[in-house]
Amino acid sequence: MPPVTRKILIVEDDSSTAAYLAKGLGEAGYAVESCSDGRDGLFLASEGIFDLIIADRMLPGLNGLAMLGAIRAAGVSTPTLVLSALGTVDDRIDGLNAGADDYLVKPFSFAELTARIDAIFRRVDRTAIEGQPTRLSVGDLEIDLLARSVTRQGKTIALGAREFNLLEYLARHAGQVVTRTMMLEKIWNYHFDPGSNVVDVHIGRLRRKLEEGFPAPILHTVRGAGYRLSVEP
Amino acid sequence: MIRLSVTARIALLSIALALVSNLVLVAFVWKIVRDDAIDELRRDTIEQSEALVAVYRTGGLPALGRTIREARTPGDESRIVAVIAPDGRLIEAVGPGLDGFARWPRLGFHMRALGARWSDREAGYAVRQIDSYRLVSGRMLDDWQEEQRGIERALVTAMLLSLALGIGGGLVVARYVGRRLNRVADVIEGVAAGDLSRRVVNAESGDAFDRLATRLNAMLDKTERLMSELRIVTDGLAHDLRSPLARLRTKAEAAVLQADPAQREAAMSGLLIETDLVMRMLSTMIEITRAESVSRDRLAPMDPIALMGEIAELYAPVVEDAGMRFETVLPRVAPPMVLHRELLTQAIANLVDNALRHAAAGGAITIRLRIERGAARFQVEDRGPGIAQSDRAQALRRFGRLDSARSLPGAGLGMALVEAVARLHRGRIDLGDNAPGLCAAIVLPI
Repeated sequence: MPPVTRKILIVEDDSSTAAYLAKGLGEAGYAVESCSDGRDGLFLASEGIFDLIIADRMLPGLNGLAMLGAIRAAGVSTPTLVLSALGTVDDRIDGLNAGADDYLVKPFSFAELTARIDAIFRRVDRTAIEGQPTRLSVGDLEIDLLARSVTRQGKTIALGAREFNLLEYLARHAGQVVTRTMMLEKIWNYHFDPGSNVVDVHIGRLRRKLEEGFPAPILHTVRGAGYRLSVEP
Repeated sequence: MIRLSVTARIALLSIALALVSNLVLVAFVWKIVRDDAIDELRRDTIEQSEALVAVYRTGGLPALGRTIREARTPGDESRIVAVIAPDGRLIEAVGPGLDGFARWPRLGFHMRALGARWSDREAGYAVRQIDSYRLVSGRMLDDWQEEQRGIERALVTAMLLSLALGIGGGLVVARYVGRRLNRVADVIEGVAAGDLSRRVVNAESGDAFDRLATRLNAMLDKTERLMSELRIVTDGLAHDLRSPLARLRTKAEAAVLQADPAQREAAMSGLLIETDLVMRMLSTMIEITRAESVSRDRLAPMDPIALMGEIAELYAPVVEDAGMRFETVLPRVAPPMVLHRELLTQAIANLVDNALRHAAAGGAITIRLRIERGAARFQVEDRGPGIAQSDRAQALRRFGRLDSARSLPGAGLGMALVEAVARLHRGRIDLGDNAPGLCAAIVLPI
């Protein structure tokens, strides 16, 4: 639950999607405002009062990416998540290049959306409060980002470079759900969906190293969504 | 403007051609005959005037007048003789139309029309000076006029003949052209009616019609191939979507009927997995169509070794967890290549997936980058059953899953994407024998 009520602007012309988003995000504790075309979106966003903008790409008036470009050009750096049915690799990369902080393809699972929203807020908070940390700790797990070493209950755990990146990403979002596609995008920089369960396999290996010989699980599977690094089950 | 039918135009053209050739011939004959007639007339006239001059020399003007009067034979209207005094008076005159003479005609031989219509009455005459008189002697060109009428008749006949020939020739040519074009038109009609297997019978003579036929046949071949590919795509899509959707339905039904909350939740998450499978198939479909038309500026120069290394890093645990050995063979150096990182990675990942799915029994998968002359081979090798030589073309066809693989999961879209990506990079897929196993390579030009 967010400490202060965060304000989210939804720019979406499809009323059922907008209603679905507004309801879900409202229940998750956010203050939601919606509008249905790019011009209104630009107008509202330039006030700079929102913590997050969720924008569709194909909008009447002004398309999502053009709206985003205008918002950024106006000096408003509100984090933006683009939501679009245009889902090819190139579409996603275009969206991110246009200044979106994240890009989610429709249809999406709500768990995926909230995981990404949480990740965006976490990143914003972290840079606002602490700048770049050198150590992360989750329960009895200690991660030294400079030495790139990991200990749990004082015992050193040897990790490969990619496993370390994976753990670092999970630790930076400790307590939050991190989805498979988020990991593929952030750790491997792939924007396609590989058919087999590649992420699960990598997580499985990481989990064995983190949990074997220790009494409590720390890397949890969240069914239908992804994974969560946390002491609480 | 009225557009004549091609048949009429061809007929008109051949009529015109026949007419022109006949007219040229007739004109030539007309000229020769006329020239001959005039030559003869000139000779006659000169002889006659010599004789008259000789009469004058021996007997003077009275003898000449007598000779002229005697020479007049009744019924012969063609002879012309006249003696003109210095004051322009006609002293002796025989022949028609003499009033038309100039009062003091010029010396020499002349051809001239007498009367109103020259073509009717043309005459040739010589004018000579005898003392102070002028002697005109000559003849009407009557012989020639008869010849001319003959030629005119020939001309009419020729024109009629040309007309007949032109119409006949035009009809024959038009029929021939029409028949050959109809053959093409029939095929096109058949195709339009849905029979894509029809082809134009081709004589291979290399003329314009055969070229048209060859091109049309080639176009139909391509259309037929595309149509059958499309059919395979739609069939395949329907077939491949059917099973996950059927499973989805079954699981949804089971979930609805599940009373125990924990089991119900498990059933629900099973639904999500099936839904994701369908979603993935659809996004791969879109990715394939997009890869067919992606612009080259999406490609960027990069190190192929790094690209393969990343794939190997991603897949090594997956392959090992499946109980197989995983090997990566990369060259030490490779030239930078212009690649679409994500699409090429996805394509190679598809090949690895295929190997995982079909060659699990083989026990080993190798990822290999091989730099050859002018080409880089991104290879995935397995030790599975492989693909028989005869089935390889079929395996490359879009959605063409081999029958033996039909029962296994997997959308069969994989190879189609690989092919589209290879084409995007101006390369190709190569399926080879790994003895045993399959060696699938994306071969891209460097």
